[in-house]
Amino acid sequence: MEIMGLDVGSRAAKSALLVGRKWSWGVADIMAWRDLLSSGAEVVATGYFRKKVPHTLVVTEITAAIHGVRHFIRGDVDAIVDIGAQDTKVIDLATGEFMMNDKCSAGTGAFLEFLAGYFGLGMEELQEYHFRAGRTAEINNTCAVFAQSEVVSRLVEGYTREEVIKGIHHAFARRIGQLIPQDADRVAFIGGVVKNRGVIDAFEKELGIRALVPREPQVVNAVGALEYYMARRGGPP
Amino acid sequence: MIGITALVPPEVLYASGKRPLDLNNLVPESKINPREKLCAWTAIWRELVIHGGLDLEGLVVVAGGDCHNAIVDGEKVELSGLPTCYFLYPFDGSPQLLEAQLEDLVEFLGGIKERSRFEIVRALKKRALALDKRRVRGEVAASDGFLLQVSTSDMLGSLEAYEERLGRMEASDETVEFKHRIALLGVPPIYPDLHAFLQSLGLHVVYDEMPYEFIRLTGSSLSGISRSYAGYTFAGKIQRRLGFIEKELKRRRVDAVIHFQQFACHHRLEDPIMRERLNRGLGYPYLGIEGDMPSKLPEQVKLRLEAFAERLGD
Repeated sequence: MEIMGLDVGSRAAKSALLVGRKWSWGVADIMAWRDLLSSGAEVVATGYFRKKVPHTLVVTEITAAIHGVRHFIRGDVDAIVDIGAQDTKVIDLATGEFMMNDKCSAGTGAFLEFLAGYFGLGMEELQEYHFRAGRTAEINNTCAVFAQSEVVSRLVEGYTREEVIKGIHHAFARRIGQLIPQDADRVAFIGGVVKNRGVIDAFEKELGIRALVPREPQVVNAVGALEYYMARRGGPP
Repeated sequence: MIGITALVPPEVLYASGKRPLDLNNLVPESKINPREKLCAWTAIWRELVIHGGLDLEGLVVVAGGDCHNAIVDGEKVELSGLPTCYFLYPFDGSPQLLEAQLEDLVEFLGGIKERSRFEIVRALKKRALALDKRRVRGEVAASDGFLLQVSTSDMLGSLEAYEERLGRMEASDETVEFKHRIALLGVPPIYPDLHAFLQSLGLHVVYDEMPYEFIRLTGSSLSGISRSYAGYTFAGKIQRRLGFIEKELKRRRVDAVIHFQQFACHHRLEDPIMRERLNRGLGYPYLGIEGDMPSKLPEQVKLRLEAFAERLGD
């Protein structure tokens, strides 16, 4: 029997398939989630659309993230930060408490996407610019709308695109940092946004934490959904 | 009818020969999209009163110790021409100060006309308290128990209608299946389907913090009412309120706590203090959720609730 973890979020769909002992994964645009399905595989669904896709079992992204991070990262993890396109979730693994930011775009992928668009760059280019920056432009506003006007002000003042992008990454890290437990040291970062190492660099510098990034950060919840299923059944399918 | 914007002793309103209408009870089902707003509750009742065609002869604004946004929205109503009275709960819980406020209120309402109604309201609240106990035992659905308690603020504008509802609930024979007992703290949720959704997850709300105040506080004279309502936990210091909550959590054998917070409400700022004491201090699993405009539960809130239920386990 094949089992698939399927994470259908607000922007992208991610899958993890386990056949025997072999894992494989995929990512697709949200509208193309069906392309990820494997005929005959049972589906454990997570993500905002978890109940809208055919499934054997559903699990929230919060629980899936905990199982997924355990799959990828050995050793202690104090907290998980899951940065999605529309929201950011922070899970304190010491207490099991979780916090979410979904009211304000400043701490979500949507904000970085806006920034990339403003500079005419792809999301994957932001990291390159970050590490080329000499200085860090100071962006103080925690509101995306006000931060946008700050971007313009910093450029007028003479900061380069690189320095402004780095400044935005730092503002982003401070914003999400408010949700991260103060005593957390080893923090796992998951979600597509964290492929941008500039963001991770900003988190480490701003918060003085050790950032742990799984090798496939975008599919962690899909893998976690599958791991959750196996934990409930007491072993692999 | 006299509009009220938060808890104003219904004992006094009925004894003054008036029918109260708690404007908040109209908000969750309202489709009004107010132009200027911080908190949706106060902005929507403001619009309802000024433009909603309600047949009100006056408004009592609870302007102190409970809802801070109500002051300006109340003044806007007053500027529209409706006789308006401002009722303030003393922050220090002084019964003497509260009695002076009640005397001003009675004057605004035109004097006490039917003193016997103090006792009638008190007796009805006693029956509501008995139903609250049955709810804790799992004999009353949380959504029904919540609706009864929250409508005790104005007693549906008719003591007869309220008594009839009490009677119907007393006669019903129900067994609620659930996995965990939940306390819902904070102002009442702006989402009308919250209790039913929690029930669908096996989470039985056995304590609605603010609505419980509506059935708990009472008295059969102005001074008795002052003494009782001076203990209105929402109007005083957070540590006094938390002390009360702590006793209720134990008494009701609560497993986990959900704190509902309204966008732009000053009570939101109390969340870290509550989390510190109830979660880190006493170990209650704790979830904060937030609402802004009235609507059915948004997916983002459902996600939090489902994840919380998963965390509590079977």
